[in-house]
Amino acid sequence: MSKPSDLVQGTLDLLLLKILALQPLNGFAISLRLKQVSGDVLQVSDGSLYPALHKLEQEGWISAEWKTTENNRRAKFYSLTRPGRKHLEKEADNWGRLAAAISHVVQLKET
Amino acid sequence: MRSERWTYKLPLRIRSIFHRQTADQELDEELRDHLELKTQQYTSEGMTPQEARRAAVLEMGGIENRKEECRDARGIHFLETFAQDIRYGFRMLRKSPAFAAIAIVTLALGIGANTAIFSYVNAWLIKPLPFPQADRLIVLLSHDSKKGWTSNGVTSTADFFDYEKQNSSFEQLVPWTSWYFNLTGDGPPDRVLGGLVGWNFFQTLGAQPLLGRTFLPQESQLAASHVAIISRGLWESRFAADPRIVGRAVTVQGETYTIVGVMPANFQFSLMGTSNMWAPLAMDDKARHDRSTSWFEAFGRLKPGVTQQQAGADLAAIASRLEKLYPQTNTNETTLVSTMLFEIGKNEGTQQVIICFWLVGLVLLIACANVANLMLARASSRAKEFAVRGALGAGRLRLVRQLLTESLLLFTFGGAAGALFGIWGVHWIENAVPDRIRGYIVNYGRGTLDVKTFAFTFGIAILCGVIFGLAPAFGSSGFGANRSLKETAGQISGSRVTRRLRNLFVAGEISLAVVVLVCTVLLVQDFAHMVYGDIGFQSRNLMVTELVLPPAKYQTDAQIRGFYDQVLTGIGALPQVESADASEFTPFSDSNQVRLIHVVGRPPAGPGEALGAEYSAITPGYFHTMQMVLLRGRALEPTDGPDSRKVVVINETLLRQQFPKEDPLGQQLEVGDNHDICTIVGVVRDTKLFNLTDRPMRQIYVPAAQFPSAQMSIVTRSSRPSTEAASVIRTAVWSVDADQPVSAVRTMDDLITERNTPNRILAQLLTFFGLLALLLGAIGIYGVTAQSVQQRVHEIGIRMALGASSYDVTRMILAQGLKLALTGIACGLLAAAAVTRGMAAILSTVKSSDPITYIVVAAFFALVALAACYIPARRGSRVDPIVALRCE
Repeated sequence: MSKPSDLVQGTLDLLLLKILALQPLNGFAISLRLKQVSGDVLQVSDGSLYPALHKLEQEGWISAEWKTTENNRRAKFYSLTRPGRKHLEKEADNWGRLAAAISHVVQLKET
Repeated sequence: MRSERWTYKLPLRIRSIFHRQTADQELDEELRDHLELKTQQYTSEGMTPQEARRAAVLEMGGIENRKEECRDARGIHFLETFAQDIRYGFRMLRKSPAFAAIAIVTLALGIGANTAIFSYVNAWLIKPLPFPQADRLIVLLSHDSKKGWTSNGVTSTADFFDYEKQNSSFEQLVPWTSWYFNLTGDGPPDRVLGGLVGWNFFQTLGAQPLLGRTFLPQESQLAASHVAIISRGLWESRFAADPRIVGRAVTVQGETYTIVGVMPANFQFSLMGTSNMWAPLAMDDKARHDRSTSWFEAFGRLKPGVTQQQAGADLAAIASRLEKLYPQTNTNETTLVSTMLFEIGKNEGTQQVIICFWLVGLVLLIACANVANLMLARASSRAKEFAVRGALGAGRLRLVRQLLTESLLLFTFGGAAGALFGIWGVHWIENAVPDRIRGYIVNYGRGTLDVKTFAFTFGIAILCGVIFGLAPAFGSSGFGANRSLKETAGQISGSRVTRRLRNLFVAGEISLAVVVLVCTVLLVQDFAHMVYGDIGFQSRNLMVTELVLPPAKYQTDAQIRGFYDQVLTGIGALPQVESADASEFTPFSDSNQVRLIHVVGRPPAGPGEALGAEYSAITPGYFHTMQMVLLRGRALEPTDGPDSRKVVVINETLLRQQFPKEDPLGQQLEVGDNHDICTIVGVVRDTKLFNLTDRPMRQIYVPAAQFPSAQMSIVTRSSRPSTEAASVIRTAVWSVDADQPVSAVRTMDDLITERNTPNRILAQLLTFFGLLALLLGAIGIYGVTAQSVQQRVHEIGIRMALGASSYDVTRMILAQGLKLALTGIACGLLAAAAVTRGMAAILSTVKSSDPITYIVVAAFFALVALAACYIPARRGSRVDPIVALRCE
């Protein structure tokens, strides 16, 4: 099987926002959750995860907080902000329309 | 919504700027945490700790890169890298102090010269007069619509009062005229320059007195007019800053005046010149109705909202009404308006300042081209550094930005040094202005070093920094890592683009320098011709003192004649004195008089076509004492007494203009408003009257015995220049009349020097600018040649190994440099020919296309360029082929 194609530009942001919409998580947990929810289809390297998180934070979509985890470690937890939630809704709509349009095109009968 | 987002974003921005270290630490911690957790996960899946760790790091894909990306995400990249660039720029400048010093000094000279000149442009052309709402101050000029003549002064006294009554544009109209006051009592008699002014003079200007009050309306009535306001300078020098000066009585012209006010030190009415005392301009009813003569000037303050054009139309309408009512006196006479700022600027060499401004602009361009060249040279020797940085991931834009930052840094330093140099320049100019003429110059000859001036300084520094900083950025467009890295040190030839750009800069620089040099040489030459030219009399060992006899004491002509005869006899008998004579007006003094003349027998002059001539009444020996050359006929003789036929001596300009083909001797001139008929008995050479730069003007001399005047200047020729002569002359006057004020006894040479100072300052500045341009041009060509020799050491080595002699090499390098220089010189000469055409109007003795100037400048510049190229050429010819080739 060939390598799964790279994530479509911008979709990583969408995925991250969606994951954080469910609950605040730290970086490592986010990487685990990504693998979990998408199976192995969407492979996000740890390398691209953190810059993406930092960018979303700078944009004001998510906010970060240092908290102590259950096993007494200090970790940076990310959570969705109110503007972030609105942004997510908008982006999800866009994605839905885009995906529908692309699948429509791809399924066109060849004559 | 947007604002809510900012509540999240702003603290982060602030943190990343001001708490960069904390942010970095947290990033560090976060990533380490991730790695540990990952390692734990892999270990629990059965890997060895080492393997687990390695896998975790691999998955991250290079910790440092990730960190950089996270930092980028913080988005304050710009500020941070800017700070970094500045730090780096500083380091680079410190590392090459010679380059930094040359560049900064070059820029400081260029920018400093501009700062100094701009401070005068600012003071004279931009900054309004030191009066509130000065743009509403309007000067009235009389205009002869037929001859197109415009002159200061109102058309006539009666006209002025009609304008005052009938106009609807001005809040106030103010009459004024310069005046001398003879101050006696309290100490030695003193002659004080000042003015007679309308009662509303200070009020209209908006000037407040330091002490006391300004004039009252009723004080323009003759009966109440014996009041005076004095300057702070006079208050301090003559009255010892008496705090009870207001109300004190002084004797002026033998009459008692009461001082009612003192004006502050910064009060200046430049149109009047140096003035220290003001009294109301008052006149009787007869004078108020005089419609044929005028003896004062006028200005006014516009009503708010009225434009200069509206006021002009208003006065013109009144003028045409007056023209119909009084055709005898007012035909073709009208009144024009001009702003006071413009009129003051007109008097004071505004043109010269503008020329200087252009020239220093060019000098600055030359300086910038020079610095850009230096930066280009450095950029090509730094090609390798840039290649390395490029290979390490610096983007092209990032490198350009760094070059730009370095250039801006350099230009900012240059600007700061230039500001200091400029301040010094302004002080130099300021101190060079003598006190006597200071009063005529706007702002007392001080430049205006204000925010505007320094904004200008740093504005041009930064503008030039950006423009010329981009040059090396484009020049080193290659940044090609491959090529540059392959080349060995010392062998890096600047890219072709760089070399072309540098040649272009140098050729352009030389062209500009040639333009500046041609302009300055023309102007300085013109100046020198006038200064060392003929002034029409011998000024050495000549001393002048001015006397005005009080009319109350000397009422008859005989009394006046008696006084001057006695004084001249007394002075003439002094051992130090060769001869002494008197003239109503002398050259280079502060006063003069123009009288209308008419050649008897010729058709009467049409309205407004009358001829004027500089007039003076003189004692018989005046031409002898002045050593003026008599061209025809005879001088005035003692026999030309009050009862004999009236006579006049004319000058050669009047001869040339009015008697080009006829013999003037024996013809008759009608002189002045009294229509005296005088027979022409002689012709003398022209003399300069006001400035060495005067153009020829008509002059007439009449015998003082026939045209007595209470105001005369005593001219004394002594055998040697002596200060003691000055005091014996004063004593001689006082031995005749102990109460008679005597002006300071000045040597004619001093008077000429003072009058000539503005021109001398200008000439010195021009010489400096010219030399600066030449020097910068020479440095430019030297730099390019030296750089090219350095780059071609290898090639030269090969040539010499193949048999070229050091003579061949020298010739090759010289030829190359000269080609560049000659191209620049040729372009410069063409540009100069075009530019100097605009200067023709202010050159009076040199033609703007004077071929010798062009040839000399070109030849001189070529020689300088040759010398500048010779140094590197010689170095090139000494290249040892073995050493050069071994470099490889």
